[in-house]
Amino acid sequence: MIRFLLKGILRDKSRSLLPVLVVAIGVALTVVLSGYIKGAMGGIINQNARFQTGHLKVVTKAYAQNSSQMPVDLALLGADDLLKKLRKDFPQVKWVDRTVFAGLLDVPDSSGTTKGQGPASGIALEMLNRKSGELKRMNIESSLVRGTVPQKLGEALLSDDFANKLKLNIGDSVTYVGSTMNGSMTMKTFRMAGTVRFGNALLDKGAFLIDIADAQEMLDMENGTGEILGFLKEGVYAEEKALRIQSIFNENTDPHDEFAPTMQVLRDQNNLGDYLDTVNAYSAFFIGIFILAMSVVLWNTGLLGGLRRFQEFGIRLALGESKGRIYRSQLVEAFLIGMLGSFAGTCIGIAVTFWLQIHGFDISEYYSNSSMLMPSVIRSEFSANLLYIGFIPGLCATVFGRMLSGLGIYKRQTARLFKELEV
Amino acid sequence: MTWAVMAFGLCWYTIINQMDTKEIIRIEQLTKRFRDGEGEFTALHKIGLSFGRGEFAGLLGPSGSGKTTLLNIVGSLDKPTEGRVTVLGKDIARLTHKESAMLRNRHIGFIFQVYNLLPVYTVFENVEFALLLQNFSAGERRKKVMEALEWVGLAHMPNKRPDKLSGGEGQRVAIARAMVKRPEILIADEPTANLDARNAHAIVRMMKQLNKELETTFLFSTHDEKVMGYLERIIRLEDGKMVSDEWVNVKTKKT
Ligand SMILES: Nc1ncnc2c1ncn2[C@@H]1O[C@H](COP(=O)(O)OP(=O)(O)O)[C@@H](O)[C@H]1O
Ligand SMILES: [Mg+2]
Repeated sequence: MIRFLLKGILRDKSRSLLPVLVVAIGVALTVVLSGYIKGAMGGIINQNARFQTGHLKVVTKAYAQNSSQMPVDLALLGADDLLKKLRKDFPQVKWVDRTVFAGLLDVPDSSGTTKGQGPASGIALEMLNRKSGELKRMNIESSLVRGTVPQKLGEALLSDDFANKLKLNIGDSVTYVGSTMNGSMTMKTFRMAGTVRFGNALLDKGAFLIDIADAQEMLDMENGTGEILGFLKEGVYAEEKALRIQSIFNENTDPHDEFAPTMQVLRDQNNLGDYLDTVNAYSAFFIGIFILAMSVVLWNTGLLGGLRRFQEFGIRLALGESKGRIYRSQLVEAFLIGMLGSFAGTCIGIAVTFWLQIHGFDISEYYSNSSMLMPSVIRSEFSANLLYIGFIPGLCATVFGRMLSGLGIYKRQTARLFKELEV
Repeated sequence: MTWAVMAFGLCWYTIINQMDTKEIIRIEQLTKRFRDGEGEFTALHKIGLSFGRGEFAGLLGPSGSGKTTLLNIVGSLDKPTEGRVTVLGKDIARLTHKESAMLRNRHIGFIFQVYNLLPVYTVFENVEFALLLQNFSAGERRKKVMEALEWVGLAHMPNKRPDKLSGGEGQRVAIARAMVKRPEILIADEPTANLDARNAHAIVRMMKQLNKELETTFLFSTHDEKVMGYLERIIRLEDGKMVSDEWVNVKTKKT
């Protein structure tokens, strides 16, 4: 009997092609969007973690409250001891110093007068200490546009756009002008070793990268650092693990000391918590709406073909098939169509996901003013759950839709089904 | 004394005779009403009839006189409002959905005005469909289907699709499908209404032959003069009431 039904489905295009197409499109959409949402979410989290937030971050309490102003005056002191302690207590995390600071870059000509000027967002990191892994973490080597990575103190990297605006060439001098940790003015001249492009609108505007030792000297913060970032060794943000480490660390800090170190997790920073929750809610909402919409569409497809199908049901009833059996056969049919459509849709969806994983969408235009770090190209991310995620709405909607439309078989009197056999 | 013996003998003969022709459909005081907006509409009014094995009978009457309604009730596709209809010893009003499906599946064949074949299946599969609901092996099914197609003269085109068939061929497939399970009763609701004269004659002749060979009871509804000529019993309906019930053409058959 199943063989018989299958034959019918395959031969009747309105019964197979159309619904299978509808299911396939819906399922493909689900898969593509899930992959894209996951890719975007992962990309954004990853980007934020690497460049700004870490998976964990230790700062002073006062710094945490004013972090958007990059307040070097609220930096951590005694960074060496703190780092040692962190590395001993939490060996599952890689800990590094970073200091972010703002200031002005000034380009002098040969006579010493200003040739060009621009605001810089500085990042001081363990660039010369190759064991820190910072070059790789910040993707610096692959982001190089011109020149090389700094080899010694006194060298700096600039974002390529910024360097072009200032008309700087490799080897040119550039002077940082800003204020020290204590509020007095400071100047330091660097040699531009290279330029970088991170593919991130915010960073590519005015990034100025130097080694942490240079920053400590320049900003008059001996053995100090703005922030200590922690990266889980697995390389991905695992919230529960991060929260556990945070609570252990924060239990042992002095709650009354403004300058005592405090630990934050990724979620606490840059509104990433809200962002994560919103994205999760949206994707759940989307799947829900999709199931509903598909049910309605498939229900309608069922009803539209209804008259034709009811005639067939009439014949089958006359041949002695019971209503229950016809109803069940409808569900089997819906199941087959759902499977077929979901399978096709999943294949299409995964193909598109792979394509988007390689090519991605350039969104830098829309987010150039965002305070959140966004990768300028959002790529999809393939994961194993995409293999089955589409089957849930694909199968549910098809079978559910058919369950509803099939109730007409019971609702109508048997004889009514035959009225449709008369001309 | 002799009169008494003769009377007794006559009675006996009648009883034996009746058992022989064995009644398979009995309709008593059948009334069918349909809800019609606010009120009710009486489609059949106090019909009383009985049919025996092997009859070739027809319901005649203008459109709307209740022919289809009566056939649907006998075929267990609908239920009586009042009265009693017994088919093969089963009270139609008391059958569950499942039981009436079973009755249709095993014992009753249907042919409709438009030869309702399932469009996506071949001639063979359309006929086979009727057997799928019973437990025959594929080989048995094949044998039965081909035999039925031979009855109607279509054994040479089992793989054709319904849309490639002429009207007459389509109706012959419908007959094969109805007859393949060798039902006791065949219900044909205006089977020739959509056919030209030549095909109509051929179809009815074919049914008459099956009626003789397989002893199937045929129950028609028609207002087709061509069919009337073949009927052995004609029951006339008007506005849901039975106006006559007469045996015809039987003399010609006997001689
Ligand atoms: N399901 C129904 N609901 C309401 N009225 C019906 C229904 N079926 C038949 N009728 C009415 O019953 C009358 C007899 O119909 P029918 O048995 O189809 O007549 P015939 O087959 O002789 O043309 C018609 O007037 C028809 O409109
Ligand atoms: Mg009718």
